[in-house]
Amino acid sequence: MAETKKYWKGIEELTNSETMEKLRANEFGEVSTEDFLGDKEKLSESSTTRRDFLKYMGFSTAAATLAACEAPIVESIPYVVTPEEVIPGIPDFYATSFYDGHDYASIIVKTREGRPIKVENNTEAGINGGANARVHASVLNLYDATRLQQPMINGEKAAWSDLDAALGKELAAANGKQVVFLTSTVLSPTTKKLIKAFGAQYANFKHVSFDPFSYSGKLDAIAAAKGKRALPMYKFQHADVIVGVGADFLGDWIGQGVSADYASRRKPGKKMSRHIQFEANMSLTGASADKRHKIRASEMGATLVGLHNEIAALKGAAKLAGGASNAQVKAAAKELVKAGSKALVVSGSNSADIEAVTISINDLLGNGGTTIDYTTRTYFRQGDDKAMTALIADMNSGKVGALLIDNLNPAYVLAGNTKFAKGMEKVGTTVYFSEKNDETAQLCKYVCAKHNYLESWGDAKPADGIYSLQQPVIRPLFDTRQMEGCLLKWMGGTQNYYDYLTANWNTGILGGTRWDKALHDGVYTSTLGTMVVAETPEEPGFIERIFGTEEAEETNNTAYSASAAAGRLVSIKPKDFDLSFYRKAGMGVGNLANNPWLQELPDPITRVTWDNYLTISAADALELGLKNWTESNGALDGDRVNLKANGRMLENVPVLIQPGQAKGTLGLAVGYGRKGAGKVANGVGVNAYAVMDGTHEITGATISKVEEGYHEFACSQLAHTMMGRKIVNETSLDTYLNGDPAKWNEKMFFETHKGPLSAEETNLWDDFDHQTGHMWNMSIDLNLCNGCGACVIACHSENNVPVVGKEEMRINRNMHWLRIDRYYSSDMTEEKAEEEGVGVIDKFDQMEDPSANPEVVFQPVMCQHCNHAPCETVCPVAATTHSSEGLNHMTYNRCIGTRYCANNCPYKVRRFNWFQYSENPGRFGLNYSMNDDLGRMVLNPDVTVRARGVMEKCSMCIQRTQAGKLAAKRKGEPLKDGAIKTACQQACDTGAIVFGDVNNTDSQVFALKQDKRMYHLLEEVGTQPSVFYQTKVRNRA
Amino acid sequence: MKNRFIQRYSKALIVFLFSVLSTLAYGQEISGDAANGKTLFNANCASCHKLDKKAIGPALGDVTERRSTEWLVKWIVNNAELRASGDEEAIAIFEEYNGSVMPAFPGLSEQDVMDILVYTVEGQKKAAPEEAGTGAVAGGEPVEPDNTVPLLILGAILAFLVYLLVTVKNTLKRVQGQPTTSLAEDANIITRTALKNPKIVTLLTILIAIVFFQQLYIALMSVGISEKYQPSQPIKFSHELHAGQNQIDCNYCHYGARKGKHSNIPSAGVCMNCHMQVQEGPKYGTEEIAKIYAAVGWDPETYQYIEGYEQKPIKWIRIHNLPDLAYFNHSQHVTAGQIACQTCHGPIQEMEEVYQYSSLTMGWCVNCHRETQVQVKSNDYYTEMHEKLKEKYGEDAQITVEMIGGLECGKCHY
Repeated sequence: MAETKKYWKGIEELTNSETMEKLRANEFGEVSTEDFLGDKEKLSESSTTRRDFLKYMGFSTAAATLAACEAPIVESIPYVVTPEEVIPGIPDFYATSFYDGHDYASIIVKTREGRPIKVENNTEAGINGGANARVHASVLNLYDATRLQQPMINGEKAAWSDLDAALGKELAAANGKQVVFLTSTVLSPTTKKLIKAFGAQYANFKHVSFDPFSYSGKLDAIAAAKGKRALPMYKFQHADVIVGVGADFLGDWIGQGVSADYASRRKPGKKMSRHIQFEANMSLTGASADKRHKIRASEMGATLVGLHNEIAALKGAAKLAGGASNAQVKAAAKELVKAGSKALVVSGSNSADIEAVTISINDLLGNGGTTIDYTTRTYFRQGDDKAMTALIADMNSGKVGALLIDNLNPAYVLAGNTKFAKGMEKVGTTVYFSEKNDETAQLCKYVCAKHNYLESWGDAKPADGIYSLQQPVIRPLFDTRQMEGCLLKWMGGTQNYYDYLTANWNTGILGGTRWDKALHDGVYTSTLGTMVVAETPEEPGFIERIFGTEEAEETNNTAYSASAAAGRLVSIKPKDFDLSFYRKAGMGVGNLANNPWLQELPDPITRVTWDNYLTISAADALELGLKNWTESNGALDGDRVNLKANGRMLENVPVLIQPGQAKGTLGLAVGYGRKGAGKVANGVGVNAYAVMDGTHEITGATISKVEEGYHEFACSQLAHTMMGRKIVNETSLDTYLNGDPAKWNEKMFFETHKGPLSAEETNLWDDFDHQTGHMWNMSIDLNLCNGCGACVIACHSENNVPVVGKEEMRINRNMHWLRIDRYYSSDMTEEKAEEEGVGVIDKFDQMEDPSANPEVVFQPVMCQHCNHAPCETVCPVAATTHSSEGLNHMTYNRCIGTRYCANNCPYKVRRFNWFQYSENPGRFGLNYSMNDDLGRMVLNPDVTVRARGVMEKCSMCIQRTQAGKLAAKRKGEPLKDGAIKTACQQACDTGAIVFGDVNNTDSQVFALKQDKRMYHLLEEVGTQPSVFYQTKVRNRA
Repeated sequence: MKNRFIQRYSKALIVFLFSVLSTLAYGQEISGDAANGKTLFNANCASCHKLDKKAIGPALGDVTERRSTEWLVKWIVNNAELRASGDEEAIAIFEEYNGSVMPAFPGLSEQDVMDILVYTVEGQKKAAPEEAGTGAVAGGEPVEPDNTVPLLILGAILAFLVYLLVTVKNTLKRVQGQPTTSLAEDANIITRTALKNPKIVTLLTILIAIVFFQQLYIALMSVGISEKYQPSQPIKFSHELHAGQNQIDCNYCHYGARKGKHSNIPSAGVCMNCHMQVQEGPKYGTEEIAKIYAAVGWDPETYQYIEGYEQKPIKWIRIHNLPDLAYFNHSQHVTAGQIACQTCHGPIQEMEEVYQYSSLTMGWCVNCHRETQVQVKSNDYYTEMHEKLKEKYGEDAQITVEMIGGLECGKCHY
């Protein structure tokens, strides 16, 4: 408890004199206008006339102008000795790995003059080569000035030598009691080895893994059924039919990145997969599904049992007792059985029972080895909830002498568990490895300031036979150490972690291949023949630990058998509301919360930024009288509720009505409501962990409306539907395969004096010559886009896009060059209106409302680079002009800010700098990527930072096209297709975005332009865009 | 037979000569051509030896006094052989210089060696007065031709002529019996008459206005243009010496210009490639070069980097300041465009102190883009484009940067 001391500024304040009171009331010595203009007499006496005033004014303006003419002296300071690899102006790329305890990705980091400025996908990675939005944004967290800059003891800044000495003594004293190392899942084989070696010094050492968004139950069930407590490798690329039950595998699931594999089968054609989703919240995965069914979260188990039984019936196998079945489940079962071993059923949840039934279903389908590989395991989400519970009990009973915590913020993720905080007080020595002075750091005695991942050495073994390396790409910015370095130091050795790592790799992992090569590639795939991995022997499995080795087999058959699990699942009775916790694309579990790019990334589904909220179905909202409404300035507001769940209360939670939310269910995202993450994240949203108890979905939650006040959202898209227009062209697979493209992808024709002409041929003006040289075009495949938002962050990072903050976002002054529009289908259509004779006003009224269970489409929209651009013709100063390469150029220094262009743009992709967003820390300090010296290191030096009052928009990464062309010119060879990738294209691991030169007939983009799915957005306007889309095809059975 | 005899004879003669010379070694009885010696010294020895002080190898100014000529010849022609023969002196000197290997010079004849040795003696003698000479000149800036005196003389002549004219006029008037007027009175009358004439007044007003507005225009158009900007740099580095006299390729120091956006200012480490040996310049002596050593922490005495030295980067003053809103890439122009550095930077090889040669205005850029031809023929990148351009502009058309989109805003502004 902090003391509430009162500080006074001087003795006058203490004695509370009259002068002090006056001074306080008028702090800035302001004089009212009345005071100096009201006195007519004095005014008439004054010798200053209006003419004089104008003279002074003119003089000072002229003087200021003249003073500005003097050019400042600019210093140019070269290196004293240039590092070998640095040529100023040319980026270097390093392969490394990102892992923060939750997200893992194999990445390439782009550095300029030694500063990491961008994260890119490592296309050579065997697993998780496609980084998500958070990983793409993680480079900014390196430059967070609120990072810990030196270690701390008892909350005071300390020196490493003091910490080493004091802690060494305490750790030695703790020996005898339990010494516990608490981490999230450790992916690194070398770190595991080191922790083990460190533990060997203590008589009673334990390593406990715990994940914030745990899949412990799932792993327990897998361990019981398949013998090893590790996730199988899911192979969506082999799946003809996929049924997901509450599994958001395209958003955030078990750690394995499956979106690229999934997308490889989503291209329309005979091999397109079929995807059916059962879920309560509207997730990214549900949005991409061919068919989405709403179920209550508490019905997940019963639905799975029902599915099991339907499949069993078709296959003639034994059924499980109970289970809910209906036509939807029956249909899904039929399709699964038809696909046989090429079917895949996946479930979410932390429940062992749900996984036990899921395993049983997959076994029935016989897909082991094809779509699920139980022999090649992945090692994400290894956390063990039961071990954590045991640890908290031990802490409270005073058995724990020392607790070391790494890569986990338990005080935050266990916010609802009061026992943890109490237990911490009873632990003798608490050590915390952290980059931030966060919630846990405030409870720990020793806080070891940790390197950022971009400053650290490390490795990872995400799956059997697949390894990756992490290498520092910048020298540590602060007086920090990486966790492994601390352990080695405390073990008394002189070896640094780099030597330890290389030694472990050379002896254990590489098996004779070269370290340099592995480091260069960032990934290393161990072939089975040479797999001589000297790993530490497996710890006894979960069952063995709980029940002892002999009983393990028996327990396997009983406690975690599908029948026992099914029995428990069908007995769950929904009560009040079901509450499903979920992870947002931008926030995940909240590890990188203090990142303005991520906070401002619109949620792909709700399009809300800077917030979390309770999602509720329209029907429930109507019953409870909960509303969302829009202000006259276009801002979204909503009611607030008090949420009671797990016996705990969360107050003033905003409510957002979510189409597609199952009735009787609520959704709440974790990762918000921070207190110790830093100025960006603190106070944004509510902390869902406070009412979460490890399980991902609970029943029996209640809400009550807060009558006082309302919540202000910052929502970037208020229009939910397309209002019957062809913004996203969509068709079914059947129509695509058998129908006439002229019908399902209708082209516009205009009546002219030359006869009907297509939009491409109808011109008011002379054509540009687009046959000579390059003609840049971009194709966006709406079938492959799952809305994940990685491209938006990549664009942010590449193009120095400013963050505007919640207030500005609220009134739609967002600056994203690339946005991903989300549209819901509506029950009302043109055809239906005609059939039923609905009037025009009613029709449009109803069209505005999305269906209760809508189909969802995502559409990335950036500047369409029109070849007849409406913006170009209205610019009074020719600041936006057309290029011979098909791009629409925007010249910032020429722009005077009339905003005519934005008004005339049919796509609404132009962004206006309403304020000075950079170097304006007073107002936009939250956007530290532009407003403090450290943050500004992340800026891309090849792209101008725009000033106030100018228009900006997507340039199609012109800095990249120019650089790509130059590279070809320097080599003296023709430009190869694929040599230039835009930032959004590079970030898209599903390959939805393809950029290239359509004048090169061998290019991928040329082929895509000839595709029968190709259409231009708002083609009828006649803008002839350089960006085109591929029709969305849904595999409707 | 005769040849062999002569050979043998000459050998014997040389041996004899040497033995005679060796007795006189410390007495400086060597003769040769000092001029040839200087050429040979500069070509073969100067990279490691100086006359007056230690460099990589010992100072050679007084070497003839320290060593016997015979020994010197053996050492210079093949020092390894001499060391191998077990010569103690040779081994001692080799070890004194940390085993730095001096190459063998089998190409040098005995007379060449003599010439060099003569030069070491003569050169050392000359060095002293030369130094005094340079000291006097040093610091003298290149003097601009001073026009004050001739102008003053001209002015005086003019004033004298006016005086003469007035005197003549007044004399004539006196002769005619008219009243004389002074020069001031004359001027007064003429001005008054002129100002009363509205035509003249109008003309004058227009003239003054034209001059005023023209000057104003020139002044305003030069705002922000730093042509001829010539700041003084922290080190008096002479491009005239390095690029002009020594013919060092621009890309040796500014290696980034070929590869990337920046033509980088070389790091002090690059300077050290040469200045590890060249410790003295012709103009400022050791003073300026010492600044490089201060930056990198090099001790010219011990020929070593100082351990644990805190390196101080050299803060050059940037001359060419393009605003951030314009993207300029050197390699685009130097490598792809094959433009010589001098096109934009002027006669850099003649500049003692660099100044901004070009205006760096957008008009200047655009003009060049209109006129400069693209390397369409020698660069395969352009091959396909060139075919299309030929269709458009004709078979023999000169393809300028403008024709391939070099004037489009977004090519430089993004």
